[in-house]
Amino acid sequence: MSAIAAPALAAADDAPRTAQLGMWIFLGTEVLFFGGLFVAYAVGRAHWPHGFAVASRHTDVVLGTVNTAVLLTSSAIVAFAVACADHPAQRRWTALALWATAALGVVFLAIKGVEYAHEWSEHLFPLADFALTEPGAELFWVLYFVMTILHSVHLLIGIVGVAAFARATGAGKSWPTPGRVDTMALYWHFVDIVWIVLYPLLYLVERHA
Amino acid sequence: MKQTTLREHARVVVIAWAVLLALMLTSLGSAYLDLGAGNVVAGLVIAFVKSAIVLWLFMRLRKSSATVRIVAATALATLLILLALSGVDYATRTSEPAAFQSPRQAPSFVGGKPATQQTR
Repeated sequence: MSAIAAPALAAADDAPRTAQLGMWIFLGTEVLFFGGLFVAYAVGRAHWPHGFAVASRHTDVVLGTVNTAVLLTSSAIVAFAVACADHPAQRRWTALALWATAALGVVFLAIKGVEYAHEWSEHLFPLADFALTEPGAELFWVLYFVMTILHSVHLLIGIVGVAAFARATGAGKSWPTPGRVDTMALYWHFVDIVWIVLYPLLYLVERHA
Repeated sequence: MKQTTLREHARVVVIAWAVLLALMLTSLGSAYLDLGAGNVVAGLVIAFVKSAIVLWLFMRLRKSSATVRIVAATALATLLILLALSGVDYATRTSEPAAFQSPRQAPSFVGGKPATQQTR
């Protein structure tokens, strides 16, 4: 009897860690999900290096860099929120930091929206009236939109999740335990890492020319 | 005691954040220098270092259990294996030019004649 009960008790103690492990495994599959797009990008850039360089120069490097800084900052703040969540006395700080994280996510999406609007007016959407004639340039812009939109969808999910944690923490709910806040933060950091890789691939191809 | 550890956490976060922003600006600056193949190498190496900082300090891989580290390492290894295998395929395949390009773009690729803007 006790031989059966003991593992069950141990499992209950490990519950938050199990959630974190589950998130890590999920993020592992996400790495492979984005990996396919990186293969497509590598093939395109290897075959049309000039086309990709020309196309990349049409991205808005200022807004792209600002957005990178926004996401890096949001990651730092959510890491701070996780540290605060370990101390029940810091509940107010945890909530505040989580709200700030979600807000920076919204700022990122707003800036991305401004970029998309510019790109639409400059005919950079890969449609019939696509502006560039350089071979490979249109493929770059297809990948640009697929990758950034997919990233934005992930970020949107993160914003909703982090905002829910912020609200519940601020309201004194008991379910946002430190382990769960950490699990949510892991997802947020992953979305940040995807952008860290996208930034040089999309915005920084041969700016010197 | 607890307050001190929180302060310690905050210090690590702030330092890591400053390093990340510095690396981002280095990456930005490197793109404006003509480094040839070094441009893409610099971009990717800096992205790798930034990712490592986020994984190690923000995602607390440095304090994670062996199981979590194995999961993270397996994900990275699988990604690298699939990248390498896909690369072998594409690197050894003959390029069929302009298969993806729209008809408007194809002439400039094949004949070197600038493509003309069609009526929209």
